[in-house]
Amino acid sequence: MSLLRFEDVSKSYGDEEVLHDVTFELDAGDVEVIVGPSGSGKSTLLRCVNRLTEIDGGAIYLDGADVHAMDENALRRRVGMVFQDFNLFAHRTARGNVTLGLTEVLGLSEREAAERADQYLQRVGVADQADSYPAELSGGQKQRVGIARALAMDPDLMLFDEPTSALDPELVGEVLGVMRDLADDGMTMLAVTHEMGFARSVASRLTFLENGRIVERGSPERLFEQPDHDRTREFLGELTDLHR
Amino acid sequence: MIDTALQAATPIDTVLQAATPIDTALQTGDWAFVAANWEYLLAGTVVTVLLTITSLSLGFLAGFPAGAIEVYGSGRLSGAVSTFGVLLRGTPIVVLVVLIHFGLPLPRFGSVPWLDIDLTAFLSATLALGLRSGAYQSQVFRGAIQSIDDGQIEAARSVGLSTRQAIRHVVFPQALRRSLPGFQNEFTIVLKDTSIAFAIGLAELLTRAENLYLQPGHGTAVMEVILAITAIYFVLTFVTNRSLEAVHRRYSIPGGTE
Repeated sequence: MSLLRFEDVSKSYGDEEVLHDVTFELDAGDVEVIVGPSGSGKSTLLRCVNRLTEIDGGAIYLDGADVHAMDENALRRRVGMVFQDFNLFAHRTARGNVTLGLTEVLGLSEREAAERADQYLQRVGVADQADSYPAELSGGQKQRVGIARALAMDPDLMLFDEPTSALDPELVGEVLGVMRDLADDGMTMLAVTHEMGFARSVASRLTFLENGRIVERGSPERLFEQPDHDRTREFLGELTDLHR
Repeated sequence: MIDTALQAATPIDTVLQAATPIDTALQTGDWAFVAANWEYLLAGTVVTVLLTITSLSLGFLAGFPAGAIEVYGSGRLSGAVSTFGVLLRGTPIVVLVVLIHFGLPLPRFGSVPWLDIDLTAFLSATLALGLRSGAYQSQVFRGAIQSIDDGQIEAARSVGLSTRQAIRHVVFPQALRRSLPGFQNEFTIVLKDTSIAFAIGLAELLTRAENLYLQPGHGTAVMEVILAITAIYFVLTFVTNRSLEAVHRRYSIPGGTE
């Protein structure tokens, strides 16, 4: 059974339809990369999974269960999310960012939470910054703390919303490296990113979304080499040129 | 100097002097009069400080929830709180203290020895200054809460915290830090505005100052007495500001811009 399934999902803001009958599914261990022009509904699609945004039609299933029938906090415990702007808690250290969910949601003691936080900070390579505050970290370090914060909750699925778009070019690599390691460890990932190198080498599937519709979806090789639609070729071509 | 000593000793001179226009020149004898009444003024200082503390505390207890309600409350509740705030901020503080003291059926308490204050007047002044401060503090907190980026709540929600937990653990700790400069400002304003309790005769600094220079024979001491209490107000605000700045530094977020 698929881990995540979208079934005819639609979403509108007023008269504007941002998602239109989106259907796709993801198996455990899959890495799905979503690309599309700005305003195509990519972020909305991600946010529907953990119900930061509620859908208007269709259904989303996590491990066979309709997410709308689930308690939203219970759902979010199982779905990690990484944001473009990091959204680290400004008043807490790197370690404190990771421990908040562990103590308040999972009910761990402060000590257990700190130990677990340190393990995850170690895993993303920022263990030496555990006592630093977000404002003292570089963008790449912040995003790695963001990843550790989500991972420490031991989610079934990770959502990445343009995780490298706010980074200076020289810091992109360290974040993509962490994501690559995660994929190698078998984490199921749904990522909105325009890093085509990452998509080609890591993604099991690539989805091209435009105007709230899936234009084309398939293996990255196929979409890059022989897409069914000219629009896909055109868009991927532009992206690849940009990131060369 | 001899002249002043004689004045103090001769009743007839005292009467004559009270009838002459107030002499504004600073005189050693008048300073001696201030010094002789140090304990009386000290008691007034204690009243002023106590009134500042009770008023600010009431203001915080009313203002912090009010600010939070204005941001997170339901439409009707938030509207009611906001309207009450507008009314309070639109009323002159002297009018408010007189209204509460003479208009409300407050219970009559006795007076406190040494401090020599009427507890009912103290309560009236606390209510007026406290509610008014609450109305201003609510705006400080409301602004601070609204200044916290929505992404902070989203991040907390996405690790599974409820909205309530997110507000408590993520928004409030940051909003309170951002409120400190506004709160410091409010502290100074309330401290100085305790002097309006003069209007209802509460024996704080200003009332006592007047009690001193209105004593027969001390009409020339107006300037000295007022300068003395001005200095006391200044020392209090200065020390308070420095202390709150230290608190702000102590709790500011490392690397942050606030």
